Order: sequence, then C-alpha cells, then structure tokens
Amino acid sequence: MTTRGRGERRRRRVLAALGGALAVSGLEAVLGVSPDAQAFGEDGAFNPRILLTGTASWTGRRASAPARWALEVVRRTSAPARLSPTVVRADASALLREPFAIWTGARAPEALTRSEQLGLRRFLALGGVLFVDDQAPEDGSFLRGAAQQIKRVLPRGSPIEIGEDNVVFRSFYLLPEAAGRVRTSTVLKAVVRGGLAQVIFSPNDVLGALARNAGGVHPFDVEGGEATREQAVRLAVNIAMFVLCSNYKDDQVHAPFLMRRRTSGRP
Amino acid sequence: MSETLAWSGDLPPLATAVALVVAAASALLLLYELIRAHGRHHRGWVAVSGFAALALLAVAILRPVRVEERGASVGARLTLLVDTSRSMDLPADTPGGTRRAVLDRVMPELGRHFAEVRLSSLSFGLGDPVPIEGASWSEATPALGSDLSAALEDVARANDDLPQAVVVVTDGRLDRPGEERVATALRSALGELRVPVHGVQVVSETPADAAVATVNMAEAVVAHQPVTVRIGVRCVGGLSCDEVPVVVRELHHETEAKRRAAGTVQVVDGEGTVELEVTLDRAGKRILEVGIESPSGDEIAENDRRLVTVDVARDRIRLLHVAGRPTYDVRALRTWLKSDAAVDVVAFFILRTRDDQVRARPDELALIPFPVDELFTEHLPSFDAVVLQDFDARPYGLSKHLPALADYVRGGGGLIMVGGPDAFVSGNYARTRLADVLPISLRGIPRDGAIDLGSFVPRFTKAGRFAPVLAPMRALLGMRLPEMPGSNRVGPARDGATVLLEHPTLEIGGGAMPVLALGEYGSGRSIALTFDGSHQLLFSEFAQDEAGRAHGAFWDALLGWLMRDPRFEPATVSAPDGCIAGQSTSLRVRAVFADDGAKAELAVAPMGAPTEPAGALVTRTVDLAGDGTPAVVDLGPFAPGGYTATVRFTDQGQAAPSRYDFACEAGGREWADPRPDRARLEAIAETTGGVVVDPTDIASLPLPEAARVVAERRVRPLLPPWAWTLLAATCLGGHWIARRRAGLT
Repeated sequence: MTTRGRGERRRRRVLAALGGALAVSGLEAVLGVSPDAQAFGEDGAFNPRILLTGTASWTGRRASAPARWALEVVRRTSAPARLSPTVVRADASALLREPFAIWTGARAPEALTRSEQLGLRRFLALGGVLFVDDQAPEDGSFLRGAAQQIKRVLPRGSPIEIGEDNVVFRSFYLLPEAAGRVRTSTVLKAVVRGGLAQVIFSPNDVLGALARNAGGVHPFDVEGGEATREQAVRLAVNIAMFVLCSNYKDDQVHAPFLMRRRTSGRP
Repeated sequence: MSETLAWSGDLPPLATAVALVVAAASALLLLYELIRAHGRHHRGWVAVSGFAALALLAVAILRPVRVEERGASVGARLTLLVDTSRSMDLPADTPGGTRRAVLDRVMPELGRHFAEVRLSSLSFGLGDPVPIEGASWSEATPALGSDLSAALEDVARANDDLPQAVVVVTDGRLDRPGEERVATALRSALGELRVPVHGVQVVSETPADAAVATVNMAEAVVAHQPVTVRIGVRCVGGLSCDEVPVVVRELHHETEAKRRAAGTVQVVDGEGTVELEVTLDRAGKRILEVGIESPSGDEIAENDRRLVTVDVARDRIRLLHVAGRPTYDVRALRTWLKSDAAVDVVAFFILRTRDDQVRARPDELALIPFPVDELFTEHLPSFDAVVLQDFDARPYGLSKHLPALADYVRGGGGLIMVGGPDAFVSGNYARTRLADVLPISLRGIPRDGAIDLGSFVPRFTKAGRFAPVLAPMRALLGMRLPEMPGSNRVGPARDGATVLLEHPTLEIGGGAMPVLALGEYGSGRSIALTFDGSHQLLFSEFAQDEAGRAHGAFWDALLGWLMRDPRFEPATVSAPDGCIAGQSTSLRVRAVFADDGAKAELAVAPMGAPTEPAGALVTRTVDLAGDGTPAVVDLGPFAPGGYTATVRFTDQGQAAPSRYDFACEAGGREWADPRPDRARLEAIAETTGGVVVDPTDIASLPLPEAARVVAERRVRPLLPPWAWTLLAATCLGGHWIARRRAGLT
C-alpha cells in the first residue's frame, strides 16, 4: 500500500519500550512468572513463536532467527512485531494467546501426545497459522514426520502446493518462488482451509537463512548467496503479513495492480 | 283509519281459484243455454236469476270481509354518503372557500329536502363509512382516500331496513369506482340492492393549478443501485404550462435535504411525465421530496411537492475498512468481515510507512498507493459504513477529508473508530469536525497522555446490560470479558450518546471513561471502541470455550446496529394511520427487549433540524409494556414535511435510541388532481337510475315513496256465512222456477 510517512518516531519509541518490556517478560518467563504484560497497541503484534513438542527445546544456532524475523518485519513494514519472540509448548494454554507459531526441527518429531494434539487442534480451529520449517531439508525427515503428525491433528487436511499465485507470495513482496537456506523446492506446501493456508510447510530452512548472531554474522551460508537470503527474508516478511492481514492482497482492488506488476516483471 | 273490502283470508288460494273457475264455467254454460233458447218466454228471468245464483254461490264460498286498518305513513329510508376525503379541502367555486365548507351549506338543505325521509348520514373515505351526527361537516377528520365502492358495499350489506335511495355528496374525485367500467363496479358493490344512486356535486369549477400528479417508482429499491422515478405533472384550470422543472431531493435527519435528481417536464394538453434516475445510498425508510417549480397563477401551492416514503433494501453492506497497520486485531476484524456474505468489504491497510526500509524496487512490492482522495471524495457515498482502525489521519492525507466524512455520517453513513496507538486523540482527530460525530468527546485529552497502558477488563454499564446490541455477546459470555492491554484515553460521552462498556478505573468528567459508546448524528450513527483487543474474543484462551464465536457476535451486532438492523433496536415505532398535515397523528411504540416493561421518551423533530434536545417539536414519556403490547401515543398535528421520531429508554441508563422517519403531506395523492369529476357521478347515476344535481338544485332530487306502517287491523264479515248461503239458495230456487216456466230443463 502507501509509502507515505507517519508517526514513526512514536512507533519506534513504543517498540523500544516493548523490547524492554519483553526482555523483562522473558526473564519473568524464566522465573515462572506470567509474561502477560503487553503494551497497548502491541497486543496484536506479530510474534514468531517457536512451537515445542515432546522433549524438544529451542537452542542452537537458529535461536536468533525468530528475533531477526520480527526485526525485519518491523524494519520493512508498518506492522508491529515482538522483537524477543517467545516459545510455546503445544500442550500449553498459551498456544491460544496468539494465532501464529513456528514448528521447526532437524529430525523427525516425536509423536504428538493427546494433549499436544488437542492443543494444536484448538489452535488451528480458532484460525491459527502454523509454519513448519525443516532445518535439515537434505534429510527431510522432520518435514515428513511433521506432516504425519499434522495429519493426526487435521485428519481431513492434505497439504497442497502453493506457489506465486497464492497470497502468501504477494502479501508484501511479489515473490516468484519460495526460498531458504537451501533450494529444495521453489514452492511451499500448505493445508488450506476456507481458502487460506493454515499450515505452511517449508522444505528450505527459512529459519536457517534468517539466523544471525549478536555480531551480525550469519551462522549458515545460503545456497545462492545473499540474494537468496534476501528472498528468504522476504518470504518470512510475507508470511508475517499473511498472518496479520489474511488474504488482504487477494482483494479485488489490488488485483489489477499486482497483475500488471507480475506481467511487467517478466520477459 | 282506512277501510277496504277483501275476501275471507281463511281459504287457501287453491280453493279460491277452484271456486272462481267453477263459477266462471257455470256462467258460460248458462250463457250457452240462453243463446240456444232464443225466442222463448221468461228467458230474461232465467238469465237474471241464473247469474245472481252463481254470484251468490261464489260469494258464499269466498265470503267477503271488511278490513279496517289503523296506522301511519312512514318516510322512505335514504342513505346520504358524504365524501370527507382530503380532496374536499381543495378550493370550491366560492372564492376562498373549500369544498368541505360547502357541506355545511348543502347538508342542512338536504335535510330540509328530505324532511319526510328517514335519513342516515355517513361519511366515507377509506374503508367502511362512518356515521356522523351532530358534528359540523367541515370539522370532520379528512380521510386519505375516497372509496365510494367500499361505502356502497357496506350499505348493501345491511341486514334490514335497506335504503330506497342513496345520495352521494362529493366532488366526484373518487378512488373507486374508477373512471372505467363504472357499471360493473357498482353491480359488484350494490349486489342485490337495486336503488338509485343520486349525486350532489359540491364543486363544478377547476382551479388553476400545476401539481405533481403522480410519482411512480419500483417497489423494491436497492441501496447504491439507480432506480427510475416516473413523475407526472398536470396543469389544469387554464394554467399555462409548457416546461415545468422538477427536482427530487432526499430528506435527511438533522442535515439539509440532498438533491438526488432534476429534470424538466414537457407539458402537452395539460399533462406530462419525466423519468429521473435516482440512487439512494442509505438503506431503511428514506423520504423523497418531489417538487416542481410551478408557473405563476398556481392557486394550490401545496400540491407542488409530494413526499414519498421509500423502503430501501440493501443487497449487501458495503464497508470501507481502513487500518493504520496490520495487527492481530485487524486480522480478526477482517476475517470476520470477509466471512460474512452480506458484507462487501473494501479494505486498505497501511503496510509500509515512508521510513520503512523495504530493500526492494517498487515493482518487487505488492503495494499500491493508498487512494485517500479518491476514496473519501468520489467513492465515499457508495459505502454504508467506514471503519477507521488504529488509523492516523494526518500522515495519510485523511485530515482534509474529515469534514466530508463527518457530513457523510450526518447524511446517513456509519462510522466505527477502533482504538490503537494511532486512534482518537493520537490519530489527530481531536478538534476536527469528525470529532463532533463521535459518541465520545476528545476535548481536553493531551496528546502525551492520550494512551493508557494499564490492563483492564471492560465493565458493562447499565445500558450495556440491557442493550440489544450486546445481547448476542452476552448470550455467549454472560458478563465476562477478556482483559485488554490498554486503551485510548477519551473524554466523556457526548450528549445523546450511549455508553455500553466503561473503564473500571479510569475516570473522566466525574464518571468512568467510556470504552464502547454509540451515537446518532444526523441520519447516521457512529461507534467508538477505545481498545484494540477485541481479537481476543476470536483467538485467545478466553475465546476457546465459545470457539471464538463471541467475536462474530460482538461485531455482527455493532455493524447491525450501525445499519439499523431491527434486531438490535430496543424499540419499534410506526405510524399505523399515516400522517396528514394539520391532523392529529398517532405513533405506535413497542419495546422489543424489555421483559419487565420500560419507560421511554418519545421525541419528534422535523427532518433537517436537530432532534434533541432543542429541535424536538414534541416529547412524550411513554410506559411500554414488557410483553410487547404497543403503546399508541397521540402527538397532535404536524405541518407538512418529513419528521423523525426517536425513542429512548430512560430507565435503563442512557440507552441507544431507536428512530423512525415519517412524512406528513398536506394533501398527498388526494390533492394531486383538483378537477371535479362530474362525468364519474353521472355514470354512476345513469347506471342506477339516479340523477346528478348541483348544490343549488337540491330541490330537484326525487323523493322516494313513503312506506305505510299498520298499527291495528280489524277484519269483519259483511254478512254471516249462513246469510250468503240462504241468499244463494233463494236465488237458485227462483232460477229453477224461471227455467221451468221457460221450458228449460
């Protein structure tokens, strides 16, 4: 939409305050205190939460990826995002606090317990969006295992391929294909309900491309170089905007603009 | 007393007939004998005695009696049907007089003329005629039509004492019977009653007049879709008309009427029509004013305009959703709006600010410019409602359109302002014209204190606990609400606004700060929601028990109230008998959601003027029953024009009002054609054998024959039966002797 300015300083100030608040919030989480406190206006901010199942934990070189994802959303778009994203367990009631979560791993996930299935089913029934990202596309066992577990949660949901025609690929950037640390597939797969992708499967390790440590160094090289990393960031931003705006870019009012741009960008 | 002769009534008709036949046959036989006995002596005696004997025998059988009757002559029954329709208020032949005033002169004269007749006087208009006795005819309540057929049907339906004649006093401008097939219509109306229907035409001259004769448009009018209005103009009474300008305007509540179409009618032979295309953007009852610019010499100015009430339906609600930035709250509202097939959403979200670093060429972005000027000028009227969600007016060029947006609300549009860091005072709406149509005040709120970051759970006000608009959500959640992370700071509710939810701790102006308030401004409505956490009704731990349905229930009702959906109105109002200017008008008011009954304030204000408090012409306090029984409130007479009635419950906190728009016409359809119609009356008279006379010629109306009523009747035999028998036997004996002497056997 528009590129005109607005009260950016206030937003940055709110975000700075939010960062501090979230830092405290994270500490509270560690201490077992409720992390409910959220500033007005940031209650609805994009939060790339990591979903944990079984005995999984969230550590390693990709741990910085959610914060980077949030930061890129804040830098590039008008959307607010939580700069210190949290983690949430599939069987925790906190899963229902926000409509987005990332399920990632490098090997086949443990079978979901009944309470985890129930939690995920509720999450998806209320309209939540789950992004499933494979950290080891070369192996692919996580994505296959996650798909099997999702099948148990949504027995009637079968993933289908989604490409540039899907709103995920044009919710902010016009993306021709999927991207990530590796180029396993140019398309994504998704369980679509009501015309909207609800569980998005990425075989390209998007979090690996996003990860960046405190010194600004990327812990992973990206197949295709920095240009591909940028495409991965853009895909992440698009996913965030899809989560926040739903199928806004499918509206009729946008169609002629986007069609023209897609066409003019091709030989 | 009168005396007559008759036969005894104790013989059956058959016996009488047999006796007369036998007597006649015997007379013929005797005559035959007398002819054959030509030339014989004593033939004369035979004839005399024979015929006398036969006559006396017949009389002996029939026995004549003398009937003495005592009684009186009673006048015939006659029904006077007097036209009291609105057209009788048009000018009469006498300068300055009305046709109704002529009745005061004609009726006594008819009374004198029919002094010997039993008169029953009925006024007719719409439906069954109504007896009027003792009142001045000129003071009779005018009816909105003149249905003579219905009046005749009622007269003919009487079980006894049917009239011998009917006299109709009218100007001849009748709804029924129509101009064609008068005979058929009368036969249908009178049924078996065969009586003459006379006419007294109270006016004969046509006033010089130009009028809106007809206004025809499609029954089903859909908002935002053009509809053709066919307007007929008639010039009569010698008024010179060639081209008559016509204007169609839509009346609005609290704001000036808006011109919807204009054209010129070419008048040929006194009549002309024009078709104008009108687009109405607001659903519900809309009032159109069709007016002409009449030429000089027009004697009746009141019929130069007609007020037409149009029910405008909505195929879908067209809604403009503008959000300052994408959040989960925006997502939730959009998801609900898109899921409702009855809502046609046009959405614009600010996805990028000037300071955002997109790191891409424009052609790599799926972003389009925010067409603020186009949206809020050209397209604004096409929307039924506008949602401004966490949207700062200044950086995106909306500020300059805020006056137009305020006019849009006053003109019937809906507005919802949803909270967020860039809403209300933070969104640069304070001290703008838009702030005047928000249900909460923005005055006195400093920009640096325009947001409160304290978490809170909204609290229902007294009005909120009763309001139908929150009923669907209350049905799911009861009085529970999720915790909100903060709120925009706003001032107290404006006059006439309704606060449904309030802040539990923040106070403003001596009361709790409103967080959900509804208001009515002009013809439109607005809603202020000062928090941005309603998405928690859709997606949160709180929402899971009801599967997120409370969010839909909440927004469906808010949008429904904004669009005047009757489901969310606390009361219904109607004018069952319509409204005639100058005549007392009654409104029927019914409480919809008040189980224990409620006290309400009913206020009526002319359209184009403020309703409350100063603009109201009439206010009444009404006790409404909880079982839905309507209360009928007499409001007295109104001048011609459009009016808005608002009903507000006064004992349920400051509850949201319900509104009803209605029109009062001076003459309406009845005044559209001021020509007297003598031809119609003559056709009626000709069909039934009546006559038509002028008021000066009432003496020529035929009088129906009087009927005689017998009070006492006495029957006496002229002679006792034995005397008749003796006389007959004597004559028979004499006849036998005469026959013997004449040589007959």
